[in-house]
Amino acid sequence: MKMTALANILIFLCLFGANFAVAQDIAIERGEQTYMRVGCYECHGTDGKGNEAGPPLTPDTLPPEAIANFVRFSPGRMPVYPEEILSDAEISDIVAYLDSVKPSPDADSIDILRGLVSEEN
Amino acid sequence: MVSSSKESKSEVGRRNFLKTAVVAGAATTLPDEVSAADSPTQAIKSDAQTKRGLAAPSTEQMNMEASTLDQLAEASSEQLASSNSADTASSFGSDFMIDVMKSLDLDYVFSNPGSSFLGLHESITVYGGNSKPEFITCMHEESAAAMANGYYKAALKPAAIMCHGTVGLQHAAMNIYNAWCDRVPLIAILGNTIDAADRMGGTTWRHSAQDPAAMVRDFTKWDDQPASLQAFAESMVRGWKISTTPPMEPIALTVDSTLQEMKVDDRDGLAIPKFTPSEPPQGERGAVRETAGLLVDAESPVIIADRLARTPEGMSLLVELAELLNAPVIDIASRQNMPTKHYLNQTRQSGRLISQADLILGLEVTDFWGQINSVNRAEMTSEPRVKEGVKLITISVNDLYMKSNYQDFQRYAPVDISISGDAEATLPVLIEEVKEAMSRSRSRALSRKEKMFRKMHADSFEESRQLAASGWNSSPVSTARMCMELYEQIKTEDWALVSVGASERFVSSWPHRLWDIDEHYRYLGIGAGGGVGYGLPAAVGAALANKELGRFSVNIQCDGDFMYANGALWTAAHHRIPLLTVMHNNRAYAQETMLVQGTANRRKRGVDKAPIGTVIQDPNIDYAKLAEGMGVWSAGPIEDPEDLRPALIEAVKVVKSGYPALVDVVTQMR
Repeated sequence: MKMTALANILIFLCLFGANFAVAQDIAIERGEQTYMRVGCYECHGTDGKGNEAGPPLTPDTLPPEAIANFVRFSPGRMPVYPEEILSDAEISDIVAYLDSVKPSPDADSIDILRGLVSEEN
Repeated sequence: MVSSSKESKSEVGRRNFLKTAVVAGAATTLPDEVSAADSPTQAIKSDAQTKRGLAAPSTEQMNMEASTLDQLAEASSEQLASSNSADTASSFGSDFMIDVMKSLDLDYVFSNPGSSFLGLHESITVYGGNSKPEFITCMHEESAAAMANGYYKAALKPAAIMCHGTVGLQHAAMNIYNAWCDRVPLIAILGNTIDAADRMGGTTWRHSAQDPAAMVRDFTKWDDQPASLQAFAESMVRGWKISTTPPMEPIALTVDSTLQEMKVDDRDGLAIPKFTPSEPPQGERGAVRETAGLLVDAESPVIIADRLARTPEGMSLLVELAELLNAPVIDIASRQNMPTKHYLNQTRQSGRLISQADLILGLEVTDFWGQINSVNRAEMTSEPRVKEGVKLITISVNDLYMKSNYQDFQRYAPVDISISGDAEATLPVLIEEVKEAMSRSRSRALSRKEKMFRKMHADSFEESRQLAASGWNSSPVSTARMCMELYEQIKTEDWALVSVGASERFVSSWPHRLWDIDEHYRYLGIGAGGGVGYGLPAAVGAALANKELGRFSVNIQCDGDFMYANGALWTAAHHRIPLLTVMHNNRAYAQETMLVQGTANRRKRGVDKAPIGTVIQDPNIDYAKLAEGMGVWSAGPIEDPEDLRPALIEAVKVVKSGYPALVDVVTQMR
């Protein structure tokens, strides 16, 4: 009896985990599509790694609520994204996508960047 | 005597034809030569899509071509020397015009051939031996003007363009405007047939005008349409002088086709005036002394430099002034004013420094208002970003810049001291006055800032270095990776970044953030008028100058800009101009994509339409194939960043062997 219950719990957890993973994959895919469609890539790069036009969004991606708060009321160069253009659910998907992006290497692990120094002498 | 002279010239003409034929032949056979297994510049052929077949010939072939060309050129020069010394009388008006150009040591005329200046064209190649000036074949007058612009900024010597005063000038106008906004001297020679009785048929009429220069008068400093050869000589020398006196600007000279064909019977009766360059205007001594006193007393002075360094001396002077005061410099870098690795180059800290400054000195800053105010373009608002009571001082020739129609003079900036004078010419006096005003104790006090500025510089550099790693392995390739892989391959050469198109921001300013730009010639600024179609031809013009100076020329080329004037690649191949072009191929007019999207956001009407009209996709353009078709070695399109280094290594070899090369890199937007 006990064994059966344990087996059921394990099966449930596996199924739940698998479903969660599938759902997460779908969210990541949706997030990437939205990220590209609404033009985040233009300033932040196709994988959120940033450039002079827009800072990196990953790693350490902000939670969806913080991002929503920023894009709704952006005071600077960042275009404002009202709810009509980018919903909270879409922002959550974008965060899922950004969380899934492989981290960049450290500057010191890149041969070209390792030896760079700030001054001539 | 006369017939003998004619025979000599015919012979020279034939030799030049042979020389031209060899060049043309070499150019057309180039693509087939590259597959030679022993070629040092052999193509990376493993993948036809990413690493394309090339146009660079083998070393033997290059040596043979160069040798043959040299022999022909030498023979041609000898023949000319003989003919010219035997008969010192010029036969035609256009021959005399070439004498005038030679007196000014004019090296190049950038041109696309046209019937209204046939006489001049023939005189350059035959009478003048196609040397000083040499005719550089351009595929568009807009390219010709940009080449002259780039040539000046590398050689610090004006070049000429030659075009129809009507249809050619309409093409050239955009890049004459870019030169105007860039304060670059340029001599535009405009063909015209003034006397209607001399016009032979329809096209001659369509290619004539009462006042050709009217079209560009709002963005040239001076123009003339001389009615005699003597007047031409004086106008040419006068125009050269006006153009090269700060504020330097293009000038236009309309040259009548009838005058070009005029038979000259008495050459000795024509005089070429002596050219003496004007000394640039220096700022008034009293105002400069007052400025020096304020600089020495200021606690947080900031120096902003834009087109200060007309010459390498400008950079040395700025370094000396900044070090005397331990004052940070913000280099807008329309010319390279301050070495990027000097600890007082604090360009990346401009917002913070300007907002805290108690004195700001602007040196040849075109948009000083834009430096002391922050602008929100989306909201169309602005507010001062300087603190109350800040002393504002400018030294520039901006107030000597007297045209009103085109608005590139920017918004009016109220200042406390405005010194009209060339900043580079004024700096020696300013430095002298600063030394005079500086006590030992004040000097010691100011020197204590050095440590702080060194730390700020190091921190800023480190921040950029870390950011460059972000997206290092991304595909499309990050602009940081593209720029740093490029720098890695050229940094041991005597390199010069001759063009980045309309803005270095398009590649997130990586060269100025991480490259060691330690010489004036290493960076030549941007297409100042923002007119698209500047980048590639300007790079070719600059590379032509650098070829003689032994510098390795590099061009970071935006794709949208490339498609305006890509015929310049053929000019580079044809004239054997070594230039490494790296395509920043983001497959978009990215700036406009962002702006259209920003507008759509603001209007709350969705953003998914922003790519319409702003992306360059479907189909994607194959720039490597395009380059290959014009006889230029090429590789790409490169989407995997790991493919970039081997392609660049091969491209550098090609360029070092004296040829142009293009590497197409599919990149992130910025």
